[in-house]
Amino acid sequence: MLNELANLINKNVPSAKAVVNVAAEAKADSSITVDASSIHAVAKFLRNNSEMPFNALQCVSGVDYVEWMEVCYMLANFDVNAPHELILKVKLTDRVNPTVDSIVDVYAAANFQEREVYDMFGVTFKNHPDHRRILCPDDWEGFPLRKDYVYPKNYNGMEVFPDNKMNFEDREFIVRQDMIKKAQEASSTKQ
Amino acid sequence: MNTSVHETSSVKEYFASLANGITTTVKGMWITFRYVWGVKSVSIEYPEVREVLPERARMRLFNDAQNCISCTQCAMACPVDCIYIASEKKPEGSEIKKTSNGQPIRLTLTQFVIDTALCCYCGLCTTVCPTECLTHSHDYEFSQYTIDNMKYDYLAPDVIAWRDRIVKS
Amino acid sequence: MQTRWDVGEPEKPTINKDTEQLKSELLRLNMGPQHPATHGVLRIEIWTDSEIVAHAIPHLGYLHRCMEKHSENLDYRGVIPFVDRLDYLASMNMEWGYAMAIEKMLGTEVPRRAELLRILTAELQRIASHLMAFGTYALDLGAFTPFLYAFEEREKILRLFEEVSGARLLYNYIWIGGLWNDWTDDQIARVSQFCDNMEEEAKKYHDLVSMNKIFVQRTANVGIMSVQDCFDYGATGPILRGAGYKWDLRKNKPYSLYNEFDFDVPVGTGEVGVPGDCWNRYIVRMKEVIESIKIIRQVIEKLEPGSIMGKVPKIIKLPEGEIYSRSECPRGELGFHLVSKADGKTPYRLKVKSPCFTHTSMLPHVAPGQMIADFVATVGSIDIVLGEVDR
Repeated sequence: MLNELANLINKNVPSAKAVVNVAAEAKADSSITVDASSIHAVAKFLRNNSEMPFNALQCVSGVDYVEWMEVCYMLANFDVNAPHELILKVKLTDRVNPTVDSIVDVYAAANFQEREVYDMFGVTFKNHPDHRRILCPDDWEGFPLRKDYVYPKNYNGMEVFPDNKMNFEDREFIVRQDMIKKAQEASSTKQ
Repeated sequence: MNTSVHETSSVKEYFASLANGITTTVKGMWITFRYVWGVKSVSIEYPEVREVLPERARMRLFNDAQNCISCTQCAMACPVDCIYIASEKKPEGSEIKKTSNGQPIRLTLTQFVIDTALCCYCGLCTTVCPTECLTHSHDYEFSQYTIDNMKYDYLAPDVIAWRDRIVKS
Repeated sequence: MQTRWDVGEPEKPTINKDTEQLKSELLRLNMGPQHPATHGVLRIEIWTDSEIVAHAIPHLGYLHRCMEKHSENLDYRGVIPFVDRLDYLASMNMEWGYAMAIEKMLGTEVPRRAELLRILTAELQRIASHLMAFGTYALDLGAFTPFLYAFEEREKILRLFEEVSGARLLYNYIWIGGLWNDWTDDQIARVSQFCDNMEEEAKKYHDLVSMNKIFVQRTANVGIMSVQDCFDYGATGPILRGAGYKWDLRKNKPYSLYNEFDFDVPVGTGEVGVPGDCWNRYIVRMKEVIESIKIIRQVIEKLEPGSIMGKVPKIIKLPEGEIYSRSECPRGELGFHLVSKADGKTPYRLKVKSPCFTHTSMLPHVAPGQMIADFVATVGSIDIVLGEVDR
């Protein structure tokens, strides 16, 4: 099904360069990757075509693969006769300032979902009508779900994890666990 | 946009609507009214009357330190890292005791603390415990004045003295 | 820091002697975060023109607990207590959705008894959640008594769950590969007893609330979300069904053993009001309670003794790949997007598609033109749970 769909996309949106990512494991889901610049056209096509329409956007999810960023659009067709679904992906190689077109005017559901991806991953959505943070406060710095995120030391004049409120037992515990592990490894190598 | 604020209605409709309003309200009131005498109250007077907890109820954790083999599996399974264990190797040649289900105790437990303020009562630690010494007790009244008091040291003598009260029978 | 993007700063009123030329301006009101009708800590900024809402802007994040970030540092079993806390009124359905995603990746076969009992618990939880929705919705509209009746019945379900799993709200009961504990015959008998009782209670609720003139006046023709709106915004569950579209994952894309069961998918027909309004959303929930009872009865007939835990490795390691698994929870479709790295003991990324998050995004669309009191009815009718919206 995905191959047909990829061909269909390529035929109608030539700039999309749709590629099917076949999952290595049969249990996992396969997906289609399209070119980042053509996502708006692809979304428009997928929603309005007659052969395999997707009438609803379920969610937009970002994934940080350290080398690159991915934005996944979970599309579904709420139709009793053809209830198909699709993971549509966009690969963003610019990790510092990832940018992609917004699809809010195609699927209104993308409004909040794209805001969440911006909030968590810092992906900028061009032409988004309301491009703000959604879950974090407006003045939060950094994008929490990026793999290289370090939480700020201060927020609005408040110290994060002040010493008088730290659970030092927790810290000592981790250190002690490491020591136990090392001792166990050392004893096992002796034997 | 989609709210009809003012509806124009004929006199007939007006009275039909009025009658409908009265009948449905009276019907609802009648259902409520039956509760005045007909139904036994379901609330209980808590401190005097206590509900009997089901057998599997997950309340405060209790570790029977005599049966603990310091395997640290509970600390590993804990999703919020609220269990702190420390142990030492027993000096060579010392007597190796056995737990109640026959596992040898090779390490001396020097610390077993659970921060109950952090605990989320998920019960994952009790399922991985090989000797079943870590259990959920039925003790749910343990509010404290300071957050530090929520840390329970299960090697302290007072906890051992409470054992009979806390452990599930 | 960005400010109000949508409305702009209100214009300054120009003072004029002629009252007809007096300029009016929008009044900004904050509904929440501690508003009793928002079911949690939802803050909605509404701009009103006298009593008509001009714009409604939901501000989310007051209950943001970084669940997605936390789960990247937890093993797959340890995530379940966190998943519980997403939708604290329907924890069983949440756990099941998560467990299904992992089981699909692992390729675990869940024993038949476990699957049946999962359906049993999920449907009981659905009833409990809908009872809560019914009670709080009536409470929103100013009726206090139905809330107490609903809680009395809900308490029976919670008591059953407490006996089975050990906790009243956050169960950690549905595990990867099966269930923690088995139900005893006695408990099953009590479930069927509860079902008999519940059918009578449901009739009582209908008499008390559904057709009540005041309730109908407050909800019928209010907050209409058409089928097209629902598709645009990706709304699912009682919102979509209330709009008159027959879509239920349990029926249309059956997971688990739902294809063995005979039940209807209730939709809003517009016997009062029009399909898609608050009353139809409400009645869909009440009808779903009856359908859930039907399913539970069939489960009890089919139950056979057997094991309740499939074969799951002691340390769960998933293969590399990703999965998006959907399930029908009381508020709509719940999705888990799980990305795992090869031999990873923790999820690389776990995204929760929560139905209420989607439904909240519909509020700015529905609100303009409503009275404030009607807006309260609309917010209540989508049965919002903030734990799930903010995650």
